[in-house]
Amino acid sequence: MDLTHSSHTHKESFITKYIFSTDHKMIAKQFMITGFTMGFIGIIMSVLFRLQLGWPGEKFLINELLLGSWANGGVIAPDKYLALVTMHGTIMVFFMLTAGLSGTFSNLLIPLQIGARDMASGFMNMLSYWIFFVSCIVMLVSLGVEGGAASAGWTIYPPLSALPEAIPGSGLGMTLWLISMALFITSSLIGSLNYIVTIINLRTKGMTFSRLPLTIWSFLVTAILGVLSFPVLLSAVLLLVFDRSFGTSFYLSDIFIGGQALERFGGSPILFEHLFWFLGHPEVYIVLLPSLGITSEIVSTMSRKPIFGYKFMVGSILAIGGLSFIVWGHHMFVTGMNPFLGAVFTITTLLIAIPSAIKVFNYLTTLWRGNIIFSPAMLFSIGLISTFITGGLTGLILGDATLDINVHDTYFVVGHFHIVMGLSAVFGTFAGVYHWFPKMFGKMMNNTWGQVHFWITIVTAYGVFFPMHFLGLAGVPRRYYTNSSFPMFDDFINLNEIISIFAILAFLGQLIFLFNFLYSIYKGKKASQNPWNSNTLEWTTPVEHIHGNWPNDIPEVHRWPYDYNKPGYEEFIPQNVPLKKGETDSGAH
Amino acid sequence: MEHQLTYSTSFEENKKAHEPLLWIGLVSIIMFFAGLTSAVIVSSTSATWQLFSLPSSFLNSSIAIVLSSVTYQAGYVFLKKQQQSIAILLFAITLTLSLLFVYFQYAGLSNLYQQGIFATGSQSTTSSSYFYILTVLHIAHLFFGLISLLYVSIKTMLNKYNNNNYLGVKISLTYWHFLGILWVYLYVFLSVMMSK
Ligand code: HEM
Ligand SMILES: [Cu+2]
Repeated sequence: MDLTHSSHTHKESFITKYIFSTDHKMIAKQFMITGFTMGFIGIIMSVLFRLQLGWPGEKFLINELLLGSWANGGVIAPDKYLALVTMHGTIMVFFMLTAGLSGTFSNLLIPLQIGARDMASGFMNMLSYWIFFVSCIVMLVSLGVEGGAASAGWTIYPPLSALPEAIPGSGLGMTLWLISMALFITSSLIGSLNYIVTIINLRTKGMTFSRLPLTIWSFLVTAILGVLSFPVLLSAVLLLVFDRSFGTSFYLSDIFIGGQALERFGGSPILFEHLFWFLGHPEVYIVLLPSLGITSEIVSTMSRKPIFGYKFMVGSILAIGGLSFIVWGHHMFVTGMNPFLGAVFTITTLLIAIPSAIKVFNYLTTLWRGNIIFSPAMLFSIGLISTFITGGLTGLILGDATLDINVHDTYFVVGHFHIVMGLSAVFGTFAGVYHWFPKMFGKMMNNTWGQVHFWITIVTAYGVFFPMHFLGLAGVPRRYYTNSSFPMFDDFINLNEIISIFAILAFLGQLIFLFNFLYSIYKGKKASQNPWNSNTLEWTTPVEHIHGNWPNDIPEVHRWPYDYNKPGYEEFIPQNVPLKKGETDSGAH
Repeated sequence: MEHQLTYSTSFEENKKAHEPLLWIGLVSIIMFFAGLTSAVIVSSTSATWQLFSLPSSFLNSSIAIVLSSVTYQAGYVFLKKQQQSIAILLFAITLTLSLLFVYFQYAGLSNLYQQGIFATGSQSTTSSSYFYILTVLHIAHLFFGLISLLYVSIKTMLNKYNNNNYLGVKISLTYWHFLGILWVYLYVFLSVMMSK
């Protein structure tokens, strides 16, 4: 290897260290703080509109307090309910679970786990964060404009999104949504480019692809999905902007406003759905895959056992990534699609069950007879396995055109995607935070409060989303402000109340996490260098962060990352420990 | 705080990542145009899809951009042979050809406009809107190519390229070829989808 030994002293000012930092570890923290703040706003929104769903028309002081003119008299206005749902979905999917999750853990772990000084381009990395930051600000500002925030759902289907005069939220709110998302996409693309190139080019000596931790594999595939799918969303958004502001009609046809035909023809809103979901489905894996990687790592470490079927785990990440591009039609079964095409999308969708099941079995086999340490990170990882199964099973129903047609756009869908994507990704995020908190802040989080947080979260989360399936089966539609004018849904008012109570409790449970998090940063127990006795390279760096990660040479890698309880050897063997005489790399076969 | 670092893999070595960065960037541009051209295909199934004839200007522009790829490549070859002056001449020709390209694109679009084929507004059709947007988006990407071409030319004039330091030129050149291929694809595609 080419050794360019050059000494180099590094001085940083406050600004370059904390604000315009190019150090991946600091950028990771920035993404985490920003993403989690957005997530917190998103969860508060969900609690507020759950109040309306649980007790329709009832006055709540908190609504008026937090929403002001959106909830005069303490009741959320119907159009503002739609704005809240739209912003909640947008914030959760993109800001919290795409940027917040990938931004945090890809940035933190890619250089540390592959053995690199930093990202391929620290400058682009910084740019990615700051563009994200601006896009957050624009999205939040849109909450305050006349007419209110975008209200067409997180999927912003035209014509609601294409005609500024359609509903109040279609005006300036929608324009800002589009600007914010264009920025977001730019940020995400820049970030993903960096992640991919770093993983491919800057691995340390000995870090072959078959020795990459599964976290890195999942971040790699996530970034590839982003590079392939976000540009398509950008193209969809661009055409939408033209329809809104420049008088084209890509998505518009046969529109009547007040009985008056609009002079727009030739377009089709279905075209938007195709373009949107070509991104949209890979997007759910962009949200999910990092959590699968994070939990694979944690499950192996905390069971003190090698991950079962490493190659199959990698293969199934790749298979899921590949398949995710040919299933988008399952969101469009009721658009009048040719039934033959529907059958094709049904088949491709159901195929995803195979790699998903492989992952589940490998998780369970890894746990089987392990010396399980039930740390909060491990509990949340097991929680993810649970939600991945329960949410995945309802995916089989929704993926089948003939069944989906019955429950499309009902609460069944809301229940499904919250469990399989929302909860799984959130659990993975929490697991990651508990596990790598010592790496990020040099302190330990409180274990007991972590356990309490987990149990409250899993119980209340299922309490919120499990009953939604029954609402959906009974036909209760999603995105409705109230169902009180449909007598057949009167029976469900109690159920809705229970869901809302669980939602409030779920929210309160998160305050425990917030407290534990903040408290531990300042007052937590000091972390040792390798608190979980883990094998991966990030634990060979000093507790205190330094620019360039390793004070001396970057460690060389000699083995795969899962040498836990290798028969005849130590309890755990970090990746940088050379093979003993006669020892073979367990990952090599 | 100060740290002494001995780099076994230095930060500088991150430079080797620049070329892959470009390639993956190109992939995302390809996906962007793939999204748009797929949209054209979906929209073309509408009963109101209108055909029009493409002005010959677009054929001229296509020839210009292909030639510019050839001259840029040749300039690169001469640059590597340390024949700066020939390289600069070829870069200048490349620049001229690309400006010619932009001119022909402009002439073609204004020709369409005079025929009453508009980009937007109630008299436009989706096919004409697509045509204008795709053409202009390509020029927007060309703009960055032009900047990099100028940058390379100036650095050549200042004699800043010596052996083994052609990475910047190579990246600019690769992007330039990409722009040419992209336009030829768009030209053929749009001709098939839209011309009478
Ligand atoms: C306490 C936590 C949460 C609660 C109580 C909650 C509740 C809800 C409810 C009631 C809806 C409205 C459904 C409708 O009317 O169609 C909704 C929509 C949505 N939620 Fe959540 N949610 C939570 C967390 C999350 C998370 C973590 C995600 C991340 C994936 C998420 C993503 C979405 C999306 C994408 C929508 C659809 C928005 C739309 O219809 O445009 N939510 N949520
Ligand atoms: Cu999908």
